[in-house]
Amino acid sequence: MRAYPYPRLPGAVTTRVTAVRLRGPDDIREDLDIKGFSAVERVVALGRAERDDWHTARLSLSATIPARDIEAKGHWSDVAVVAVLTEKATNARSVTRLDRAAGDGKEWSGEIEVHRTGYADRASLAVHVVATVGGVAGRIIASTEQDWLIDVTADVPLRDRELDVTDVSFARGAAWLRPFRDTPWIVDISGRIPTVRLNSDFEGLMTLVEGQGSKIENMVREMLLAQMSTDVWTAVFHSAIGDLEIEDDGSPVLPPDWRGEVLREMLPDVVPGCSVEDALREVHTRRTGEGRWAELQPRIHFAATRRAEVPRTLTDTIRRIERLEQETHA
Amino acid sequence: MTARPEHLPERLARISDMQAAEFISLGLLAGREDVPSIALNKVAEPLEGDDERGRLHPVRELIEEALREFRGMRPTAADAWLAPRLHATLRLSRREAADAGLWSYLALGVAPDYVVWRHRPEPKADEAPKGVARKRFLGPHHTQAFARLWWAAELFRDGSDYGPAVRACGNQDMLNTTLRLDVIDHRPTAQALVRLMDRKIVQSGREVNALVAAVNASAATLMYDVIAPDVEYDSEALRDWIAAAETARAVSRHVLPEGPEEQPAPEGAVESLAAHFEGLFADVSVRGRAPDERG
Repeated sequence: MRAYPYPRLPGAVTTRVTAVRLRGPDDIREDLDIKGFSAVERVVALGRAERDDWHTARLSLSATIPARDIEAKGHWSDVAVVAVLTEKATNARSVTRLDRAAGDGKEWSGEIEVHRTGYADRASLAVHVVATVGGVAGRIIASTEQDWLIDVTADVPLRDRELDVTDVSFARGAAWLRPFRDTPWIVDISGRIPTVRLNSDFEGLMTLVEGQGSKIENMVREMLLAQMSTDVWTAVFHSAIGDLEIEDDGSPVLPPDWRGEVLREMLPDVVPGCSVEDALREVHTRRTGEGRWAELQPRIHFAATRRAEVPRTLTDTIRRIERLEQETHA
Repeated sequence: MTARPEHLPERLARISDMQAAEFISLGLLAGREDVPSIALNKVAEPLEGDDERGRLHPVRELIEEALREFRGMRPTAADAWLAPRLHATLRLSRREAADAGLWSYLALGVAPDYVVWRHRPEPKADEAPKGVARKRFLGPHHTQAFARLWWAAELFRDGSDYGPAVRACGNQDMLNTTLRLDVIDHRPTAQALVRLMDRKIVQSGREVNALVAAVNASAATLMYDVIAPDVEYDSEALRDWIAAAETARAVSRHVLPEGPEEQPAPEGAVESLAAHFEGLFADVSVRGRAPDERG
């Protein structure tokens, strides 16, 4: 918990995207299909737009704030509610004031624009309540706990990214893949998001992974995918931890891109019971020689297999094998 | 000394982190080796299309110009000259500039000689000479040799006026400390910081760092966007500027180029923030230490 030198507003601030309208050349407009945004996932998938030439997307937002507390406590004046859209990769930041809807001041609404040239991947959308407190204007007195994600390329509004699997010939593909020509797959973490490269030279692998095969083949495929997914989580974790930016005072900084997302998600399992920042510092200290890096490996493994759903997949597989055996003996 | 690449293709390209890493040898970092440019271009992916913006030679010529102009001077002096000119030559959107692969290619495939010249640490009397840091070739936007210049020009320009960006780049502390912080993503904040430098309220590196730390800490509880609102952004000016690249002349050596015709940050917002920051800085100076969040 951070301490603030002024009274903050208790209670939750929530927001939701209610409509998305895209505009393109010659003032062409398109309303994004409601399947393009999800209030459960809190994601807007702009890649779902039918036209690919849109320039801007205007998001209609509504926000709910604990208005009764504002009146009851009386600490705050000039209350404003603002939506803030940011993306680390593009240093993007745009801010819009929302308007107070008729009624008791709980509901606010407005629009914020996403310029396609200004965003690369995923922007996050937060809402803050700002007020004058003790004579100081512009104090942030409350914020949404959970941001919305505005994904400019995805066509399905999902928070967790799907595992990106592509096949390529290791023997004839990029030079760096050639030494691995006998390996079934490699995790490539050099791109915008991590990818699994399947070796199309590995005989039978493609049929197994893609195929609608027999029951046994399906079981093996699911185990394989869980294994690949574990590899991805592990590789990303190590690459993120191995390439951290360090502040002048020696504290490591969470990376701005998906590496940061991955660390945020895995660190609570790797170093339980503390904040993400403290966990990051702990892991960094251990890796850079203050010992006990080896002891951390089981925890990293645990965090990766959990996310890759290995235990569930394995349990399913074991049950299905049992059933298959019963069928053959029957 | 690392030399101009032997092979310079027609078009700019991008190269993945993993492949770029293979070309960053210790010899290159020490300035002893060249980048094997034919091998590099075999794995790099040329930019698609045939637009002017993707041409390699204007960028190479610009960088050679900088090497000529600043030879014999402190290499840091070249930043303020090159940043706006690189920005106006490349004419990228932020979406395009977010691609680290392009910057790695500029450093390895277009001008490794420049990266070595600009970023080789000055030798110290009783120490073995150090090499260029890896992050100058392949790294985040605030450390990579060309990305940092482009982003400095982008975040400190005031609409089409690169003047404030030139002044920000003239102070290495301003450039190095602010680029990594989120506060300067708010245009009036970036402009207000430059004004405090213009007015000589902050001058030394120490002062600049103290000011930026105070401004950043204060942003944790104070929303500058509300007390000093920017105008609503319109991406049309940028799209027009990018389209005009087809017919634009090469940037001048002596005259500052012009950026996209976006509206400048509102004068009132910049001035009110400048006054606020001056107050924060006075507090820090009095106390002689970085302020806490009360600032």
